[in-house]
Amino acid sequence: MRQFFLDIVTGQRSRQGLWVLPLLMALAIVAFLTVRTGHMLRPDNLLNLLAQAMPLIITAIGQTFVVLVGGLDLSVGALISFSTAILALGGPAWILIPAVFLLAGLVGLINGVAVARLNVHPIIATLAMQYIIVGVTLVLRPVAGGSVPRVVIESVGGTFLGLPMQVYWGVVVVLVAWKLLHGSRFGLHLFAIGGGVASGAEDAAHNVGVAVKRNVIFAYVASACFAAAAGIFLAGRIVSGDPTVGNGYEIYAITAVAVGGTQLSGGIGSLHGTIIGAMVLALLSNGMTLLNVSPFVQTAIQGGILLLVVAMQTRRKMGL
Amino acid sequence: MAGLIELSDISKSFGGSVALDRVSLELFPGSVHALMGENGAGKSTLMKILAGVHRPDGGAIFKNGREIAFANPREALEAGISTVFQELSLLPNLTIAENLFLGREPLGRFGSVDYRRMNADTKSALTDLGLDLAPDTLVSELSIAERQFVEIAHGIKADASVFILDEPTAALNAADVEILNRHIRRLRDAGKAIVYISHRMDEIFEICDAVTVLKDGRLVGTRPLSEVNPASLIAMMVGRELQDLFPERARTRGEVLLAVKDFRIGTATKPFSLSVHAGEIIGLAGLEGQGQQRLVRSLIGQFQPFGGNVAIKGKQLPLPVTPSSGVRRLRSLGVGYVPEDRKEEGLFLALPIAYNIAIELHAECNELSIARGYREVIADAMARLNIRASGASMIVNALSGGNQQKVLLGRYLAADVDILIVEEPTRGVDVGAKSEIYKLLRDFADRGGAVLVLSRDTVEMIGLCDRLYVVHDNTVVAEMPAATATEHGILDAALSA
Amino acid sequence: MTGMLRSPVVQRLLKVPPSYVVFALLLAILWSARPNMVNFNVMGIFIRQVAPLGILVLGQLLVMRVRSIDLSGGGVILLVNYFIASGTFPGARLPFFIALAIVIGTLVGFFNGWMVAKRRVSAVIVTLAVSIILIGIVQFLAGGSPPGDVPAYFGEIYNTRLGSVPTPVLFWFGMAALMWLFLSRTIFGRFVTAVGENAEAAYFSGVPVERTVILSHTIAGLIAGIAALVQTASISVGSVRVGLDLPIVAVAATILGGVAFGRGDGGVWGPTFGVLSFALLFVVMTVFGLPEPGKQIAQGVIILLAAVLYGVRTAKAN
Repeated sequence: MRQFFLDIVTGQRSRQGLWVLPLLMALAIVAFLTVRTGHMLRPDNLLNLLAQAMPLIITAIGQTFVVLVGGLDLSVGALISFSTAILALGGPAWILIPAVFLLAGLVGLINGVAVARLNVHPIIATLAMQYIIVGVTLVLRPVAGGSVPRVVIESVGGTFLGLPMQVYWGVVVVLVAWKLLHGSRFGLHLFAIGGGVASGAEDAAHNVGVAVKRNVIFAYVASACFAAAAGIFLAGRIVSGDPTVGNGYEIYAITAVAVGGTQLSGGIGSLHGTIIGAMVLALLSNGMTLLNVSPFVQTAIQGGILLLVVAMQTRRKMGL
Repeated sequence: MAGLIELSDISKSFGGSVALDRVSLELFPGSVHALMGENGAGKSTLMKILAGVHRPDGGAIFKNGREIAFANPREALEAGISTVFQELSLLPNLTIAENLFLGREPLGRFGSVDYRRMNADTKSALTDLGLDLAPDTLVSELSIAERQFVEIAHGIKADASVFILDEPTAALNAADVEILNRHIRRLRDAGKAIVYISHRMDEIFEICDAVTVLKDGRLVGTRPLSEVNPASLIAMMVGRELQDLFPERARTRGEVLLAVKDFRIGTATKPFSLSVHAGEIIGLAGLEGQGQQRLVRSLIGQFQPFGGNVAIKGKQLPLPVTPSSGVRRLRSLGVGYVPEDRKEEGLFLALPIAYNIAIELHAECNELSIARGYREVIADAMARLNIRASGASMIVNALSGGNQQKVLLGRYLAADVDILIVEEPTRGVDVGAKSEIYKLLRDFADRGGAVLVLSRDTVEMIGLCDRLYVVHDNTVVAEMPAATATEHGILDAALSA
Repeated sequence: MTGMLRSPVVQRLLKVPPSYVVFALLLAILWSARPNMVNFNVMGIFIRQVAPLGILVLGQLLVMRVRSIDLSGGGVILLVNYFIASGTFPGARLPFFIALAIVIGTLVGFFNGWMVAKRRVSAVIVTLAVSIILIGIVQFLAGGSPPGDVPAYFGEIYNTRLGSVPTPVLFWFGMAALMWLFLSRTIFGRFVTAVGENAEAAYFSGVPVERTVILSHTIAGLIAGIAALVQTASISVGSVRVGLDLPIVAVAATILGGVAFGRGDGGVWGPTFGVLSFALLFVVMTVFGLPEPGKQIAQGVIILLAAVLYGVRTAKAN
C-alpha cells in the first residue's frame, strides 16, 4: 500500500511521469490565492482563469504529442499569430476556419516530413518554419488589426445552454486529445516510438510493424492543428488579428509540458500532466500579477521554472 | 519432402564489408534447424533478411515454392515468419501486454485499444511459459531473464509457420531452457519450421534435427544432426583445427598487476577476489549477462561497487571511480579499456585510421597544447597489427570488420599500457583476423602485459586464456585453468554455485 | 547512380559547404543587378553590419560541433548592452566594459556547459531559458524602455578603418582565424571532433567528454560577450530588443556553412561564409525592394533547405 502511494507520488512504475507533484503545486497556489484574495474560488474568477489558460492548455496539449516522440515543435507560437491573422483577413467563417486548420496541417506536415523523412533535427526544422510563418504573418498583417468573424468571437465569449463557451472548448479539446493520446492505437504507438528513442531501441517499434515515420509526421500535424485551435480561441478573445500575439507560446508550451511530468527525451508523459502543467503556469502568472510582480520579472521567473523542471529530469543523452 | 522456406543464394553487404555471400538454406515443416557459426559469421544477418529487417542485395526467398519479398518485418510476420531477435527489442516504457501486441493491437469499440483482451491473452501466454507476471507490468520493471522470456512469448505466440529463435537462451538458466525446449518441441510437433541459433552445443544436440554452419558470411554446409558431433561441428565453424587458431599459452607468469579483493558489485551479492598476473590472459566466463561486464565496468565507474578494493600494479584504485573520468583514471594507471561494441563505443567510423589510433595518445595531453601527428607511431601500429588499408588517412568505416577491430586494438597497443581489459576481442571478425588478434594479445602478454578478457564465445575463452574465472549472479563462483576447461564444465560450475 | 555517388570526386563535392555556393550565387545576382555595388567600400559596410553575427557564429559552431547548441547569446548581448548604455557603472571606461562583457559571457557560458554536461539537461532548453531570464532581468531593470546612450568612443572605434577595411570586419576575421587555428592545431580541437563524432567512443578513448562540452560552452559564452561589445558599438544606443534573434540566425549560418550537430566538415570558414551569405542576402533583397517579412521568409527557407540537404546527406552516408 505504501509502495503504491510512493509510486504514484514519484511517478515511478508508470509511463505517465511525475504529474502528482505539479498537481499538489497547483493546489497549493490555489490555496494561497484563496487566502490572499478571498474570491479565488468564485465561479466567475475560475472561468476567467480558464479563459486565460485555455490557449496555453491547447498549445501545450499539441506540444505533448511531439515531445512524446522525443521531438520539439518551436513553430507553434508563430502558428498562433498566423491563425489570428488568417481569421482577420475578412470573409465567411466557414471558409476561414477550415483554411486555418488546413494551413496549420500543411505546416505540421512539412515539419514532420522534414524531421521523420529528411532527417532534419526537430529544433532546426521547426525553427526554420517559425521564421517562415512569422514572415508570412507579417505580410498578411504587419500590425494588429482587422476583424474576426462573429462566430469565432461568440464561440469564445458567448454562452450555450447557460454555460460559458470556454467550458465547451475545454471539454472538446480534452476529449479529442484524450482519444488520440490515451484511447487509440496512434497514441500507444507514439509512446512506443518515444520509448525507443529514449532507450536507444529506435528500431524496435518499426520491427513489429509500427509505421514510425508516419506516426511522427502525424504528431507534428497534431501539434500544428492544436496550435491553430489555440489561435482561433485567442482570435475570439482579442477580436482581431495580431502578428505578435503568439510570441513566446512555444516556450510556455514546452514549459507546461515539462512541468506536467512529460520527459523531453520521449516516451513518458500524459495528457493530464500537461493540463496540470499549463494550469500551474497560468495560476503562477495570475498570482504574480496579484502580487504586483512586474511582467518582465514574470517572464524571467517562467524561464527559471523551465530551467528548474528540466534540470530535475535526468536523461542519458548529452547535448541537444 | 518439400521445403517450406527456401533461401537461395542470399548476398548482403553493409558499407564495404560483405556480411553474406551467396548463402542458401532450406527449412522443413516439423523440424528444428540449428544455425551455427562464430560471432559475425552472418547468422543474424541471414535471419534478419528472412524476418524482413534487411533486404538482400542478391538472391531470393521462396515460401512453398513461390518467391516472396518483404519490405519490413511486419510483412514477414504476415507471411507467417515470427522472430525472437537477439538484441532485446522490448520497449521499457510499455507494459508486457503492450509490447506483445505492439503493431497488431486488438481494437475495441470506437477504435480504442482493447486492453482487457490484450491483458487476458498475455496472461495466458505468460502462464504457458510458466511465468507469473502481471501483463500490465512495465517492461522496465523486469529482470533480464524475464525480459528474454517475454521476448520469447512474443515470438512463439504468433500464428506463424516459421519461427526464428536468435540466441533465445543467452540469459537463461538450465530450468528455463528446459521450459523453452518444451515449447519448441510443441511447435515442431505442430508442423512448424524452427530456426534455432545458439552457441551452446548441448542445446543444439538436445533439440535440433539439422544444422547449417556459416563462416565469414559463406555457407560451410548443412548436415543432419545425427551425422555430426561437437568436435566436428566446431571444426566446421572455425574452418581449421582449433589448436591452429590459438597461440600457445603462457609458460611463466610475473607479479600481480591487477588485484581485485572482496569486491561486491551488487547490494546483496557475495564478495569475490581475482588477480591478473603479468604475462597472463585471464577470462571471465559464464552464462551471458551474469555480471561479467558489470564487473569490469565498475572499474571505470559505470557501476558503483558496494565494497572491496582494487589494486593496479600495487597501487590502490580509489573507489568508487567517478564515472565521467573512469577511463582516464585507469589509463593514468597504465590500463587500456577496449569496449565491446566497436561501432558504438569504440571507433570514430567517419574519421581516418590515424585519428582513431592517435586519439588515445592525444587524450593524455593538455587541451591547449599542440596536437602532434604521431605519424611514426601510427605507421608502426598499422604495420605491427597488419591493418590492410590504403593508408593511415583511410576512413575507418570503409574497412572490414577484422581491420576495424585491429584499429581499435591498435589504439590501446600504441598507447603503451601494461594491462588491457578487452570486452569481446573478436566480435564480427573473420577467422583470419581472429587468429591475428589472438596472437597480438598473446604477444602483449608475453612482453609482460596482463590481459583480462570477456567474451560470449566460450570456445574463444577456453582457447585464448590461461585461467578462467566463472562469473554467476554478479560474483565469481569458480576458477579453473583454461587448458583443461570445457564448455560443459564452465556451465556446471556456474549453475552449481 | 549509386556508383557515381560513391566516387571520391562527388563525395568531395558533396562536402563543400552550401554557404560557398549560396555566397557565389548571391554575388552573381548582385553583380548582374547592381554592378556598381560590388566594390570594396560598399561591401565593407555591408559586411561590417554582420560582424557581431559573424563573431557569435564562431562560438555557435564550436558548441554545435559537440552536439550542443547555444541560444543564450541574445540574452548576453542584451545584458552587456544594458550595462554599457544605462550608466549603472558611472565613470567606467572601455577596459572595464570589455572585462565586464567577457566575465558575463564566460559565466553564462560556463553555467550552460555545466547544466548540459553534468546535469544532462537539453541544451536548447537550458540556453533558451537562460536567455529568457536575462531578457526578463534587463527589461525589468530598464522598465521596458531603452536605457540610454552608449559612450561615444564605442561608435568611434566601430567607424575606424585599417586601410580600406573596416576595423570590426578585420577583428572578426582575425578571431575566425584564431578559432580556425585553435580547432585545427590543438588537442582541444581533437577532443571536439571526437565528442561530436561519437561521445561514447570518445569516453572510451580517454577523452574528457564532459570537460570538453563545458569548455566549448564557456568559450562560446566568452565569444558572445565579445559579440555583445561589437553589437553595442554598431548600434551606439541602449536597447531592450537588440540582438534577440542573433543566436538563431547564427545557428542558420552555421548549418549553411556545413557544420552541423556533431560534424565539422565546413570548418570555421564555411559558417563564416554562411554569415557573409546572409549579409549579401539582405543587400540583394533590399535591392529588389523586398520588405522585412520577405527577408524572414527567405531566411527560414534557406535554413530549412540547408538542413534538409545536410540531413539527406548524412542519411546517405549511413
